[in-house]
Amino acid sequence: MIIDINFIGLIIASIMASAVPLILASCGELITERSGVLNLGVEGMMIIGAISGFALMTVTGSLIIAIFGAMLAGVLISTIFAFLTQTLITNHVATGLALTIFGIGISAMIGKNFVGIPGKEFPVLFEGLKDTIPLLGPILFGHSIVFYFAFALPFITSYFLKKTKIGLIVRAVGDSPESASNQGINVRLVRYACILYGGAMSGLAGAYLSMIYTPQWIENMTGGRGWIALALVVFSTWNPIKILIGAMIFGGLTIIQFHMQAIGVRIPVQFLTALPYIVTIIVLVVISRDSRKIRLSTPSSLGKSFHKDN
Amino acid sequence: MNTNLKISNVTKIYPGCVANDNVSLEFNSGKIYALLGENGAGKSTLVKILSGVIIPDEGKIYLNENNLKLNSPLDAKKNDIGMVFQHFNLFETLSVFENLIIDSDEQRESLREKIDTIMKKYNFSIDLDIPILNLSAGQKQKVEIIRCLIRNPKVLIMDEPTSVLTEQETSELFLSLKKFSEEGILIIYITHKLKEVMQLCDEVAVMRRGKLVSVSEIKNENIESLANKMVGQNLKTIKKKKAKTSSDQLIKITNLNFTSEDPFETNLMDINFSVNRGECLGIAGISGNGQSELFQVLSGEIISEKKSIEFNNNYIGDLNPQERREYLMAFSPEDRLEQAAIPQMKIFENVALNNFKSSNFFNNGLINENKIKDHSKKIISDFNVNTDNIELKSQFLSGGNLQKLIIGRELITSPDLLICFNPTWGLDVGAINYIHETLIRINEQNKSIILISTDTDELLKLSDKISVIHKGKLSKIMNAEEVTSEKLGILMGGAN
Repeated sequence: MIIDINFIGLIIASIMASAVPLILASCGELITERSGVLNLGVEGMMIIGAISGFALMTVTGSLIIAIFGAMLAGVLISTIFAFLTQTLITNHVATGLALTIFGIGISAMIGKNFVGIPGKEFPVLFEGLKDTIPLLGPILFGHSIVFYFAFALPFITSYFLKKTKIGLIVRAVGDSPESASNQGINVRLVRYACILYGGAMSGLAGAYLSMIYTPQWIENMTGGRGWIALALVVFSTWNPIKILIGAMIFGGLTIIQFHMQAIGVRIPVQFLTALPYIVTIIVLVVISRDSRKIRLSTPSSLGKSFHKDN
Repeated sequence: MNTNLKISNVTKIYPGCVANDNVSLEFNSGKIYALLGENGAGKSTLVKILSGVIIPDEGKIYLNENNLKLNSPLDAKKNDIGMVFQHFNLFETLSVFENLIIDSDEQRESLREKIDTIMKKYNFSIDLDIPILNLSAGQKQKVEIIRCLIRNPKVLIMDEPTSVLTEQETSELFLSLKKFSEEGILIIYITHKLKEVMQLCDEVAVMRRGKLVSVSEIKNENIESLANKMVGQNLKTIKKKKAKTSSDQLIKITNLNFTSEDPFETNLMDINFSVNRGECLGIAGISGNGQSELFQVLSGEIISEKKSIEFNNNYIGDLNPQERREYLMAFSPEDRLEQAAIPQMKIFENVALNNFKSSNFFNNGLINENKIKDHSKKIISDFNVNTDNIELKSQFLSGGNLQKLIIGRELITSPDLLICFNPTWGLDVGAINYIHETLIRINEQNKSIILISTDTDELLKLSDKISVIHKGKLSKIMNAEEVTSEKLGILMGGAN
């Protein structure tokens, strides 16, 4: 009986692990979007993070350098986006799409030399405690530091936006950059910072994939997770806690449908594969139905260029 | 302590327009100053310079003999200059308190106390924890004023503050402003409404085309003298001739109801009225009492029951705006840039927009550009639109010119009925006069008008019959001669 319960615990833990990159990238993008910037380059920034992390780990052998290097790579590539959209006032959508295409291309180029190289084992925390509590043990213990960080992030993000002065400024800029500018807030600076932060989180999400989740480099290994992260932000109506729920549902259905395919349930594979996408969106739409709340949490200036005229 | 604000030889030039031409002015605390001028006279530019939003090309600002360097709104704030903009600088989705704390360095608790003191002192009552978008325009303005007062300003600048206020809110605002002035705050009041200047201010500076025309004391002026200074020519007063009594019914509304799903909209309840040919029906009311919904139902933006609207002996309640235009109805919505015209499109393209069928603007699905352009030129000259470039994007037209263009566009099909909603909202005196003359001419040609307006004077001037809308219900329809503005005011407040 105890073995069964622990098995369920393991499944839940694997679901949570698959949700980690989505939570990281979504929470980063959420901050970017709350400042009024729509960065569709999440997928590109993630894959850059993935290859940078894996390459740095292989070359330097240091996991710490690799993790922070991946975040830095995310920051660097998002700086391109920030410069284009905020300084040169280009269109957010077109620039973001270009960023994704660029990221996928350049990661494949750099990654050529790293295909087939085995990854390193990433240290996990509280390994010994795993068997002390049935069910909860495997869920709570024996994960990487990035895993714990990801599950704390939605709450940190929520606190940051609601309770801190800087969070308030970010929301204000997203609501009305004109008013913010007239109040003496440096809109461009705030948006730069938010874009760069989003880049760092996407980079970390990518590094988690290539260093911890499946420690190896495969071309295009993010497999559309960046797009899912973007969808989560919108369908969660810019609410970090709902991002957590959405990411868990998506991760959960992905894992469960794998098991269902393996068991040989007589449902078309295509339908099973599509299931996580459909159900996640339906659930998020249903729990976010309140039109008043949507109005209150949607950044009014999302995707619109702000140009201060004098 | 006395405050002295001096503007010295300020010039600001934009490509193709001198917004401020060597303007010098001096203000002293204890008085309320009016800065008067038509739209585009340069008063907004001047106050934006004072509040650091715009940097002048030349000239200096002195506050108590100190030369101020105003390079950003922050500089103005630091120098105790507070400004309430015409378009509110608030964050709609943030709460009132969040809006106030964002540019304050104080702790939450002490700021809350300070706000409470201010609200008590001036008799404001606003819930600090609800989002701005739930507030009325008057309340939003109070939030802006509180935001200025928190910083104990020496100078308070109000840019066209009453354009969005009801009459009740306006008189409340005037009381507060007088109180501020007594407490030693220097008040500069920007407006193009002459009545308000006479009511509120002590001194008035008039601007025209970027230049300062005159500075004088209010007691030496009257409405006519100020209007003439503002426009630069003698304005004729227009008066409507009494309409011929006609019993030829054009439109009849029967038991019209509209229930909205949006909690911020007003439901319409049991609307009944009729308009005869050659008649103008005025619908008065404080904004937000169902006018916008009524306009949409009449124009077909909101479809209603087929038989609830009878026009020229046809039931048209279920038709969309385009189909209603085929029956010779025409519409001039309230929001000129959002509803009536597409700002990014050129003038002639906007002219073509509402004439799909009954015009020859289109041949087999292709645009007949020459025809549209000829036609647009005709509107521009017939309706006195102050531009000769029909390729201009309509967002660059001033409000008055855009309104003339829209009315011109609507009238070109010679409709039997024109429905307009606040046609002179935010326009200057010259343009208002022109629009009023046009509307009177329509009636003289035996065509009808439904005029939904929040401007009582306008309604009394133009209407043959008047009704008042309150909370989505219409009052009984009265003959305009029997109505006074006091009586309308009482009905607008909801009393019988």
